[in-house]
Amino acid sequence: MLLAIGLIMPTGFAASEEAAPQQKPAIAKLCTNCHKAEPGNLRGNFDIVAYKSQSIQIKIDDITEVLKFDKNTLKTQNIQAPADSPDEPLRALKKGKEVRIEYFEKDGVKVATLLSAKPTIKVAPEKQISTAEVERLVAMGPDKGKYLLIDARPAPRFMEGAIPTAINIPFPAFEKMVDKLPKDKNALIVYYCAGMT
Amino acid sequence: MSPNSAGRAEKLGYTNVKVYHEGLPEWLKKNHAVLSPQFLKEAWIDKDIPHVLLDVRSAKDAEKGFIKGAVTLPAGTVEKSLAKLPPKDKKAPIIIYDDKGGDAAIKAAKTLISAGYMPVDIMTGGFAAWKSAGFPEETGKLATNIVYVPKPRPGEISIEEFTRIAMNTPPDVLILDVRNQDEGNEGMIKGAKLVPDEEILARLADIPKDKLIVAHCNTGIRAEMAYHKLKEKGYNAKFLNAVVSVDKDGKFEITK
Repeated sequence: MLLAIGLIMPTGFAASEEAAPQQKPAIAKLCTNCHKAEPGNLRGNFDIVAYKSQSIQIKIDDITEVLKFDKNTLKTQNIQAPADSPDEPLRALKKGKEVRIEYFEKDGVKVATLLSAKPTIKVAPEKQISTAEVERLVAMGPDKGKYLLIDARPAPRFMEGAIPTAINIPFPAFEKMVDKLPKDKNALIVYYCAGMT
Repeated sequence: MSPNSAGRAEKLGYTNVKVYHEGLPEWLKKNHAVLSPQFLKEAWIDKDIPHVLLDVRSAKDAEKGFIKGAVTLPAGTVEKSLAKLPPKDKKAPIIIYDDKGGDAAIKAAKTLISAGYMPVDIMTGGFAAWKSAGFPEETGKLATNIVYVPKPRPGEISIEEFTRIAMNTPPDVLILDVRNQDEGNEGMIKGAKLVPDEEILARLADIPKDKLIVAHCNTGIRAEMAYHKLKEKGYNAKFLNAVVSVDKDGKFEITK
């Protein structure tokens, strides 16, 4: 079963590769699950920021992009500046955070005008399950606990280590792996991923 | 990704779908994760991703056959051997295996997790499962010292190599100080040239193309950005990913 997962991921990615014909991609493959490349926009993962040179570095898969910004005019969305540096909101971003950047290009230099962090997806409290509850289920095991624990992260992340008893159904592979879901529509299914990203 | 998946499952008619929203990072604070022998091999060993692999069987048993790269740390000795592990803030991934994926591995994992280490993984099925999967084994003495070197970022030069170059810069190398002018005024490494990171693309003519360019700043961050810009312009470049302070006489101190 686990082998099958490994086989499904590459095909899931192939489609998005075709969607980015440019030499230097403007959108990370993972972002293509929900977004398309748009002119004047980059979508990828925040890497580092330097306020001294007003530059930001992001990763778009294997590509590294460095953009300039003007700290007085850069707009931000969904970013809460840290308390100790209220004028430098980008310091609140964690490495790897999914971001969208609006930019213009001048003299071969990309200048960011807006940086928007991916908002945390809200989950209604009654749909959430606590660590203690997951621990209790895992201790019983799927048969006794009557649950299916699903890791929705990409296969390479799942392979590095997962919650005991979990199976891997990466979000992009949902349709292809729909047969892995329980027959009983009232069975308890618990999804998790890399946290509130 | 999990809320999206949950939404789709509900659309299919599933009535009891929950989201463990804190997810794996929260789980790992108090619990171990698991991976199969195949995943240990393919996701870590074959890809050469830095990690700590602990064989928690008795040294005598381990010597008869173990996984290459494993360090012997019998389950009963983990508690008093914590000083041998990389500092917690390095977040070195620790992978544990025992004979059959039983209590010894769990005991060792619990000790490490309650001491604050994460992530801690257990290889399911222990060495027996590794062996029955047909994966290679080593015999003889296991390493007793844990060596963990995080993967350098692309373009990173080691502190040792940088220091050697800074003490005596070869003619085909240029140390590029990418801090701002006011920072450079406080002191620069001898022989270094200052071009602030902000100005690099406008001042490429000042940076020789026939030399190896080694960029530094005071933290490694601007140096890394400078490295990427230079590399894209076809330069042969590296950068120092470390904290650097330079005094008026050009004496420098580097700390990681």
